[in-house]
This record gives sequence, C-alpha cells and structure tokens, in this order.
Amino acid sequence: MAAEAGLIAVGAGLAIGLTGLGAGLAEKDVGAAAVGAITEDVSLFGKAMVLMVLPETIVIFGLVVAILSVFMLGM
Amino acid sequence: MFGRSGKKGNYAYTVARVKAKKSTLMKEDAYSKMLMMSLPEISRFISESGYQKEITELTGKYVGVDLIEHATYTNMARLFRGILESSEGELKDMIAADLERWDIWNLKVILRGRSYGLSSDEIKEDLVPAGSLDVAHLDKLMSFETDDEVISAYAKMEEIVFPQEVLAEYRETRNLAVIEDFLDKVHFENLLVSVVPNSRPKRLFQDFIRNEIDITNLETILKLKKEGISGDDVMNYYIPGGKQIDKKLATQLANAESISAMANDLAQLDFYEDIKEALDDTNSLRDIVAALTKYHSDQARTFSHLYPLSVIPIVDFMIHKENEVNNIRIIARGIESGLDKEIIKGLLVV
Repeated sequence: MAAEAGLIAVGAGLAIGLTGLGAGLAEKDVGAAAVGAITEDVSLFGKAMVLMVLPETIVIFGLVVAILSVFMLGM
Repeated sequence: MFGRSGKKGNYAYTVARVKAKKSTLMKEDAYSKMLMMSLPEISRFISESGYQKEITELTGKYVGVDLIEHATYTNMARLFRGILESSEGELKDMIAADLERWDIWNLKVILRGRSYGLSSDEIKEDLVPAGSLDVAHLDKLMSFETDDEVISAYAKMEEIVFPQEVLAEYRETRNLAVIEDFLDKVHFENLLVSVVPNSRPKRLFQDFIRNEIDITNLETILKLKKEGISGDDVMNYYIPGGKQIDKKLATQLANAESISAMANDLAQLDFYEDIKEALDDTNSLRDIVAALTKYHSDQARTFSHLYPLSVIPIVDFMIHKENEVNNIRIIARGIESGLDKEIIKGLLVV
C-alpha cells in the first residue's frame, strides 16, 4: 500500500513537472515573439499577453491530473 | 530542444519584429495615390507612412526629389541595420551576409560617382549604409584621393583580398565592371557559405539564393545581349552557383542571336511562365526585369509563409522594403521629369 501511495505521489509530481516544462518550452518562443511585436507596436500588448499565457493551460491540465491523483491517495 | 537565442539565433523575436514592420509597408493603392500627387505632396504622404523621422531630419537640407531619395534610403538603411542589431547567433550571420550587398552597392556608387566627377554630397544621395560599413566608414572611403586607395581601403574594411589579375586588369583598362563583377561573385559565394544547410528552411533559403543568382545572371545576359555584346564577353560576368542556369545553359543563352531566340532555352526554367508574357509581348528589357523582380519577391513571400521561424521572412521583408523604396523613388523621379503616368506605373514592382 505504501509503495502504491508513493507511485501515485510520483505520478502527481510528474504531471505537474512535465506539463510545467512543456509550457516553458512553448512560452520560450511565444514570449520572445510577443516582446518583439510589442517593441514595434505597443498596442499589441493585450493580444500578446493573451497568447503568452495560452501555454499555461497545459499546466492547469497537469494540476488537475495531480489533484485527482492525490485524491485517489486519500481514498 | 532547450536551445535559446545564443548560437542558434533568436528567430521568434526577430521575425515578430519584422512581421510587425512588414504590416506598415505601403499597399498597392498608396502608389496609385502618389501617382496623382506633386513632389511636396509625396514628401508629406510618405512622412505619414513611416518616413516621418527621416523627412523631418532632412527637410532643412534637401527639397523635392532629393529629399525623397535621401529620406527613403536613410529609412531603409536604418531599418535593415536595426534588424541586424536585434538578431543573434547564426541568424545574425546570415542577415549580415545578405546585407553585404549594400556594402558592395556603396562601393559601386562611390567608384562610379567619382568616375563621373560627382561631389561627395552628390554621391551620398545614393549611399545606403545598411551593411557592415556605416556612414563613418563610407565617409572615409570617399575621402581618398585615388580609386586604387578606395579599393584597397574597402578590401581592408571588408577583409577581402582582390586577386592580382583583377587589380591588374582594372589598372590597365580602368573598367569598373571588373571590380564590380568580382565583388558580386564574392558576395554570393559568402552568402551561400553563411547558410549551413542542416534544416529544411535553411536548404530552402540556399535554393532561394541560388535562384537569385540565376535571376542576376539572366538579367546580365539579357542586358548585354541587348547591347550586342558577344557571347564570350557576356560569360565573363557569369556568377557560378545558380540553381537552374549552369555554365552550359548560360553559354547557350549568351550565344543566342537575339532575346527571342533564347525562348527555347528559357522555357526549361521554373520561372519561365512568370516572364513569358513580358518576353512575348514586348521583348522589352524593362518589362522582363520587372517580371523577374516580381517573381523573386513572390517567391520570398511564399517561402516565408512556409517557414515562419526562419531567416526567409526577414529576407522577404527586406526585398519588399527595397521594392517599396524603389517604387517611391521611381514615382518621384518620374513625376519630376514629367514622365507619363502609365509608363511610371509599368516600372513599379507591386
């Protein structure tokens, strides 16, 4: 039982960690492009901001999976 | 996977900036409007279309067509330099190699200007300090007494070595084409070397450069044939490295009786369909060159959509910016000399 609980906890950690890495990779180029676009035209700030945070949704999926896993741990 | 800017190049940042700049380029209807304007109206119109800083700076110094020419070239040089300065790594190397063409352009302008006895101020009108040589370097080049000093100073600045036979031929004949032809060859050689073909976009960019070499060769052949120069002499100006026009085909084209006689050989080229109309209709060199320029810029646009995170959208922007500047200058010069509006329109690359 202790081993199972440990594996679930590792799974929850991986879900957050890997999605965080994925979001980071995606944001690397989006962020650079957003800063480039804003440098040329400040009015693009709003649109750039929305595009910038879009990859963050991946982390939310990871977070949901992690929370579900932790709930499984409690059951 | 984690490669950031550094050696690889900051494609996302630079391309985003360039795309934003491209959205400010003039559209087709702007040229139609300008054709109906006088020179002061054109100056005011372009100052509202991205050239404000340059027009304001130069208004006290120049008027009329000189103001427009100075402002457009200064604006273009600043933009290109800005792109070069904001890029990093291999991207910067490729852009710098491409912008070397403006160093060569400037040297040609200086040498040609001097040979016609123009003053430094008159020569400056056509200089575009967009390459590695800035205004200070160009001023220094113009300050030399003799052309030989200019050439050797340029070689030192650009770290290139002119072969002895090229210099000897130039000293003997004083024909600037010898120097210009050598520099063009070196430029395309350097440009091809600067692109390491380790990815599809870079291979595509190499193909694009090879196509440009083909277009340059074809333009040279057509221009010299029109002047009635013999095939062997034409081949002296052949630039190796083209994609479709190899030495054999170039020799065939150069030895053709007339431009119409080239049609069969030209039919095997990819861009034949694009220049066919100009070849058939008028046989006018002006129309053919305009068709080739249009083909080249259309190709850049297509490639830039295929690979947004590569050097191609940047080159695409630079080609379109150059076209815009040339169009404005053509309109301004055409209006100043009272050229028919339809003829001016025919000269524009839209």
